[in-house]
Amino acid sequence: MSTTSTDASTGRATPRRMVRGLNWLVLRQHRAALLCLLGLTLLVSLWIVYQRAQLIDLLDAAGRPEEGAGQPVTGRQYSLLTMLLGALPVVLAVFLGAPLVAADTEQGTAQLVTTQSVTRRRWLVAKLGWCFGATLLACAVLSALFTWWWRPYRSVLSISWLDAEVFDNTGPVLPALALFLTAAGVTIGVLLRRVLASMVVTFVFAVAVETAWSMIRQNLAPTRMVTYPLDSELPARLSESYEVERWVGTADGKLYGWGSCVEATEKAQEACLAQKGIVDNVIEYLGQDQMAAMQWTGAGILLAGTAALTAFVVLRSARRPL
Amino acid sequence: MTGKSTSTGPGGTWALEARGLGRRYRRGWALRDCSFRLPAGRICGLVGPNGAGKSTLLGMATRQVEPTEGELRLFGVPVSDREVMPRFAFLGQDKPLFKRFTVAETLRMGAELNPDWDMAAAERIVRAGNVPPHAAVGTLSGGQRTRVAFALAFGKRPDLLLLDEPMSDLDPLARHEMSTLLMAEAVERGTTVMMSSHMLTELEDMCDYLLVLAEGRVRMAGDADALVPAHALVTGVTQDGSLPAALTRHTVIESRVHGRQFQAMVRPQGPLTGDWRVSEPSLEEVLLAHLRSPDAPALYTPGAAVDPQEARTV
Repeated sequence: MSTTSTDASTGRATPRRMVRGLNWLVLRQHRAALLCLLGLTLLVSLWIVYQRAQLIDLLDAAGRPEEGAGQPVTGRQYSLLTMLLGALPVVLAVFLGAPLVAADTEQGTAQLVTTQSVTRRRWLVAKLGWCFGATLLACAVLSALFTWWWRPYRSVLSISWLDAEVFDNTGPVLPALALFLTAAGVTIGVLLRRVLASMVVTFVFAVAVETAWSMIRQNLAPTRMVTYPLDSELPARLSESYEVERWVGTADGKLYGWGSCVEATEKAQEACLAQKGIVDNVIEYLGQDQMAAMQWTGAGILLAGTAALTAFVVLRSARRPL
Repeated sequence: MTGKSTSTGPGGTWALEARGLGRRYRRGWALRDCSFRLPAGRICGLVGPNGAGKSTLLGMATRQVEPTEGELRLFGVPVSDREVMPRFAFLGQDKPLFKRFTVAETLRMGAELNPDWDMAAAERIVRAGNVPPHAAVGTLSGGQRTRVAFALAFGKRPDLLLLDEPMSDLDPLARHEMSTLLMAEAVERGTTVMMSSHMLTELEDMCDYLLVLAEGRVRMAGDADALVPAHALVTGVTQDGSLPAALTRHTVIESRVHGRQFQAMVRPQGPLTGDWRVSEPSLEEVLLAHLRSPDAPALYTPGAAVDPQEARTV
């Protein structure tokens, strides 16, 4: 009896809804940003599906010259798409991560929320949870779709797998990179407490990370070496490999630079080769089969960074006000 | 031990109790060695010049600022304990609200984030000011926004309401309206209120308790009714161009010499005997004298001081 009346009164005062408490607040406050992200994800997803279908039509029309044709069939749409996907983590960091907490400190609403009956930590955890959740969802969906397109048709999509356009936009790397940069944006926002300043600093930081990342990328797995005779072709199984370095070598494994013994005449060249005992081509490479391991290693590093930044922000909030 | 029993006694006799409270920033101490008690159910004015430490004290009471030293308790519970959060409400100087939220959504936020939310009370306050519930907060006038902030504070059903210069940006009409609202709600619920203000007349009208800070230290604390009679305004003739020696037996807060005349704010330590004219000062005169003379000894009325015996045991 008494429970019914309590239910009725609370039901009238605050209608029962699906989302409650801090989750309601975070969703209401960031409604516009989250809807934008949702819309963007849907549009880009459709765009990927559309481009994939177009490519299949094109290949069907040409009688599927998939293997060995070597002619890239990608157009402006493909490069636009890869550029957009590549920019997505930076955009999320600057427009979602940086203002996430900085806007509330700047406008005083952090004080408003944390003088209700919720602690700073609970509020931050809710905000970060939704922000990271949305980032992860959007990027995971886009990455999965792009991988689904790229993997079977990679031989006709011109770009090498270790280039940013592919490596950073497929598999776990896109979500991990987005999470790391967004977490960095949040941290910068917490430290600087100003929206515009943190957006600018986050942008600069994100560009620096992307630059560093392009240098780290090819060190994510140990390279392999292959040796084959000078006068033969590159073994076919290596056609999709990423060539790191190329030498010429002697039978007992001594290496010379690729340009060694490049002489004006063939005669002089052969004399040089014979004199040095060079008989083989030696190639240091990363195999396409290493891609998944490299992507997961890289994602692991980025996720560890994300966890460290998040822990810093959350633990700091217990001691220091926002 | 005995201190514990009084401070955490039934119902929590002391709404706010500070012991040796201090906060140091990079540029120095904003508040230091601050000890006082605010009994529950009082309306306390927090007075002091800019930079006296008022906002720092309110910040520590609302968990926005971490004390560097000392202890602050709300109804016997240390402020570091999250249990205190539902017991106080805070209205900051610029009364931040989410500008894109409607009034109704702002109140819903209060409902979502506070366990004891009183939606009926909050809606009543908003309705009484004819604030349209579906207008965005950003489009409201200053007075209407303050009303929404008040509704948010009172909807929380706090035992202690902390206000940092709540009326400073309001026009006289809105200020009067808000003071009336504040007093009515506080009296009805028995809410303890601590409000900082520069408006001495406002304080005189509303407050029955005073906490005066200057240069980061407590100058006076206690009943407004007891603080004023503890002072006397003495006018007389100077001796050799300075205060008469007989007067210096008492605590002289502030004195001014005009030619052969002197005027002094004195805290008598016994009967004031002499060829002087003694009058009772107004609250404003006492406050101004203390604010101008931060070196004068602090004054606590009985109950407002933290017993040193207790301080040692904690």
